[in-house]
Amino acid sequence: MWGGAGVDPEDRLDRAEAAQVLRRAARLAKSQRRTAGAAVGFVAMATGTALFGPLFVRHGIDAGIRTGDRGALAVAVVGYVLVVLLGYVGSRRQYILVNRAGEGFLRELRLRLFAHIQRQSLGFFDRNKAGVLVSRMTADIESMSELVQWGLLQFVSAGILISVALVVLMVLSWQMTVVALAVLPIVVLASIVFQRRSNDAYLEVRERVGQNLSTIQEHLAGVRVIQASARTDEQRHRFRMSNRGLFSAHMRTVRVSTWYFGVVELAGVLATALAVLAGGWLVDRQAVSVGTVVAVVLLLASLFEPVQQLSQLYNTLQSATASLRKMFDILDTEPEVDEHHASVDLGDSGDVVVDSVTFTYPGSDVPALTDASLTIASGERIALVGPTGAGKSTLAKLIARLYDPDQGVIALGGTELRNATMSSLRQRVVVVPQEGFLFNGTIADNLRLARPESTDLELLDALDRIGVKGRFTDLPDGLDTEVRERGSRLSAGERQLVSLARAALVDPTVLVLDEATSNLDPGTESEVEAALERLMSGRTVVVVAHRLSTVRRADRIVVCDGGRLVEVGTHDELVAISGGRYAQLSSAWEASRPVAGQVVIDSGLN
Amino acid sequence: MADQTPRAGSVRSLRDTDWSHLLTLLRDRRQGLGIAVALGLAWTFGKIAVPLLTQAAIDRSISADGSVLVWAGAIAGAGVVTGSFTAARRHIAFRESRMVETLLREQIHDHVLGLHPAYHDRAQTGQLMSRMSADLNQVQMFVVMIPLTLSHLALIIGVGVTLVVLDPWLALVALAPLPFVNVTAKKFSNAIHPAVLAVQSEQAQLSAVVEESIAGVRVVKGFGAERVRMEALSTEADDIQRVSLRAAEIRSRFLPLIEILPALGLIGVLGVGGLRVLDGAMTVGELVAFNFFVTLLVWPLRSIGMTVAFGQRAAAALERVHEVLSVNPAIVDPSEPTALPSTGTLGSVEMRGVRFAYGDQLTVLDGLDLHIAPGESLAIVGSTGSGKSTIARLLLRFYDPDDGAIVLDGVDLRDLRVDDVRRSVGIVFEETLLFNDTVGANIAFASPTVDPIADRSRVIEAARLAGAADFIAELPDGYDTVLGERGYSLSGGQRQRIAIARAVLADPRVLILDDATSAVDPSKEHEIRSAMATVMEGRTTIVIAHRPGTIAMADRVALLDGGRIVEVGSHEELLARSTRYREVLAAQTEATVGGDN
Repeated sequence: MWGGAGVDPEDRLDRAEAAQVLRRAARLAKSQRRTAGAAVGFVAMATGTALFGPLFVRHGIDAGIRTGDRGALAVAVVGYVLVVLLGYVGSRRQYILVNRAGEGFLRELRLRLFAHIQRQSLGFFDRNKAGVLVSRMTADIESMSELVQWGLLQFVSAGILISVALVVLMVLSWQMTVVALAVLPIVVLASIVFQRRSNDAYLEVRERVGQNLSTIQEHLAGVRVIQASARTDEQRHRFRMSNRGLFSAHMRTVRVSTWYFGVVELAGVLATALAVLAGGWLVDRQAVSVGTVVAVVLLLASLFEPVQQLSQLYNTLQSATASLRKMFDILDTEPEVDEHHASVDLGDSGDVVVDSVTFTYPGSDVPALTDASLTIASGERIALVGPTGAGKSTLAKLIARLYDPDQGVIALGGTELRNATMSSLRQRVVVVPQEGFLFNGTIADNLRLARPESTDLELLDALDRIGVKGRFTDLPDGLDTEVRERGSRLSAGERQLVSLARAALVDPTVLVLDEATSNLDPGTESEVEAALERLMSGRTVVVVAHRLSTVRRADRIVVCDGGRLVEVGTHDELVAISGGRYAQLSSAWEASRPVAGQVVIDSGLN
Repeated sequence: MADQTPRAGSVRSLRDTDWSHLLTLLRDRRQGLGIAVALGLAWTFGKIAVPLLTQAAIDRSISADGSVLVWAGAIAGAGVVTGSFTAARRHIAFRESRMVETLLREQIHDHVLGLHPAYHDRAQTGQLMSRMSADLNQVQMFVVMIPLTLSHLALIIGVGVTLVVLDPWLALVALAPLPFVNVTAKKFSNAIHPAVLAVQSEQAQLSAVVEESIAGVRVVKGFGAERVRMEALSTEADDIQRVSLRAAEIRSRFLPLIEILPALGLIGVLGVGGLRVLDGAMTVGELVAFNFFVTLLVWPLRSIGMTVAFGQRAAAALERVHEVLSVNPAIVDPSEPTALPSTGTLGSVEMRGVRFAYGDQLTVLDGLDLHIAPGESLAIVGSTGSGKSTIARLLLRFYDPDDGAIVLDGVDLRDLRVDDVRRSVGIVFEETLLFNDTVGANIAFASPTVDPIADRSRVIEAARLAGAADFIAELPDGYDTVLGERGYSLSGGQRQRIAIARAVLADPRVLILDDATSAVDPSKEHEIRSAMATVMEGRTTIVIAHRPGTIAMADRVALLDGGRIVEVGSHEELLARSTRYREVLAAQTEATVGGDN
């Protein structure tokens, strides 16, 4: 829609900022320079030729018709035909080339931005909401697309049209031009006022559309509650209020634009009237020919559209620079966890040393982990227990180097994690989260996540090693089964099995596990347990434990509380400490053993 | 608007399009549209006047009789007329089209909100939302073009006649290429539509890849899967580029053609017309006017071509809208409703030989008999899928039983007004849906006579009984705190207590607690239980639960198996005597300890 893009006042850039942002974007678009140059050439060709039409008409009338020279008339007609054909060719090429340059630039921007987002460490994702990051990659880039596709084309063609038309008009008759252009200030002024008011009006529409949609969504999601509460009529009334609010917002945009279109139309006709007036006077005095008057009137008509286009472009430019700045903000964020030039590959050893580690989450004042020290032998199985917020999962994440500690050192096989290459780190240490998270694609795609080059045999072997091969090969499409969005085609237990097989394929030295709190479907529960047991055997395991059975199977238990490691030892050792944290927890579990089922401790980390 | 689901086949041939819904719609708005058309016609006359006046001015100025000032003034006057009429026409056209859109949206919303739950079980929210947004957008875009199109049509006819009168042969030369403009514009509109949808669809796919990569960032980081995700993204980015280039190719095929066709008419006029002037058959002024008229026709012809394509899409959208509107609600008031008894001991519930299946699926309840005395509380226990919640839904008359009867205080539910049933039977769902409104309004949601502000004391009392008063007092604005998706978010336990307060305030004679504790953190369950005990007191209550602590609160327990009640007794009795009861509990129970949080 006309001028439909609103820009929030706080997002609007001042002129210097906008220029800087645009220069940087131009540098980014360097690879498209040649295509863009050619595109500008064809735009100029298409636009320029359109201006020659009236000139040939003038020539035909003055040199041909008025003097009775049929040859001159023929020249004018043939010239006009050639110019139109030339314009046609230029116009065809311009659509293709502008698109190629613009989309090429956007594609590069998408890839670069996504690569940069992915390089960021978890802290970045804690700070930035997922929705905002997604909109940088989608809405913001798409709002640029309007600029690179139409904006540039319009800018070039409107610029050429206006300047060439002005020059030609001045040459034809500067007197008529000056008189006719007396209306131009009206158009410019009206455009500026319109831009300002319409921006606010369109912002309000956007806001109301969102509100209205979320009311609809709320009512559809809550239709059973609404009916059960016999509230249908009240909710209908509520929707009417919201819907009429949207209608008023729409009407505001209509009021804002209505007078503007009237003024623009009036100005166009007024310019013709003025040109006729001046032309008549000049013809009288034989200062200009009748053909000139006709050409001037024709050219004037082609002057007003580009002026309108340029004022519309201003809005597009503002929303594009606002989007660009937000994207550059992301590109300027350096990842906190990264490699450096002296990084080395990690060795085979599974010894983990945590030495005096303190860590505070970005944006928090309270350390999540304070002065934690722990030595884990190769092949040892450690269970982390404690209430929510005790620091269990923070310790697990630090061991996997999803964050770097603020103070202290974490080392694997004697190499500090900070000095390890990311690729070797991800091969030695694997994190299996609480719930099996699958991506859209096949089961095989999901297994290959960490090792894209794995062969089908290797996939089957990984599944076999944790004892779940049959479950997936028996599916009608086997490993090529599409799991759909978030793996919704599989059950929660099956997703967890795929997630475990994914880890088995990497074959890491250290396994960091976050145990699920909720029960899975009974059918797969025991299968997941068995697969997990197979996956853990022979590796160093750090598990954030929620189940008594898991705790009992660990070699040593680490009790976390308030960000500190308060007790470390075997089950028997810890139970023996009278009044100890673990002893308390353990007796509470024993007391609550139910008729059936198993114990789940606390609600885990999220 | 938001939903842009690509819909293949939404463009049909003119003859296959069902125009009836569109015509009905337009008949309702005929007054406003009529005014807009009239204004459009007036504008058209102004528009034709300008070149005629220009021609006259040029011819007269050459003869130099000094009347050029008058002519220029007349042109300016025509400008004022066209300027103000174009503004008024636009205003009315937009008002009418937005009104059509607004009213239709209310109609769909109101209709859907009254449809039986069985409809909503099948309907997809996204589809219904798209009926109320994207489809109505199509309709609006068409309706807004009607007045302009009709005046364009008048302009084309008017100009055509004028040209023929001026000079029939020259008119033929000038107009010959113009029908092609119309045809090409319509072809273009039909070709570009699917291409644009394809671009949107590819953009949505890229968005999905980004979304899941960010949602699963822990997996991506934990496995070092950045490269694999990057490949997925670059595939989508390439796809966008490909389909977008295809759209550009379509534009390059049609748009330049649309641009040059009228120029060919102009050239024809210059050549043929020039010769005729030389032959003395017409004046230079007439030639210039001809040129003007031909340029006048370019836009109207283009826009008529597009309007036809828009109209087809709008008709298709309206057909989809009509599909929704033509669904008849299955649960309706009886023609002669019985009144519920309002004195004596109230709250008896009876289910007699109830048989029920969802649609044509397996039978869920198979001849179920159940009697609950007034004031009694009954827990219903059964394995997943045994039909516990179905009983609740039937009692609310969300569905009617296929066979048998459900009787409340001696009256069959089907003989009661639907609202009476739902005011007498209250429910606390497994997951509480809070509306985007204040705490007070959410509590008063099921009580039409309670005003959340004027009757604040009653709201507070209900919250107190539900054990919600303390945390509400601590909210930023107390009872005026806005909740819901775009408001303050509460924990599962807090939401459940709001729901219980809602039920307390509504004071139904029968209360159903449908798995009310299952979404609550185990360590907080005891708080909900005490709130539940308060509401259950002296009220007929059906408790659907699987945690033993909650089940034990009821006077009696009924075991549901195979679509019937197979055992009834107290929790202890059933534990002692029924193996099936112990099995069902064991499969569902998970005793939980809340650490020390």
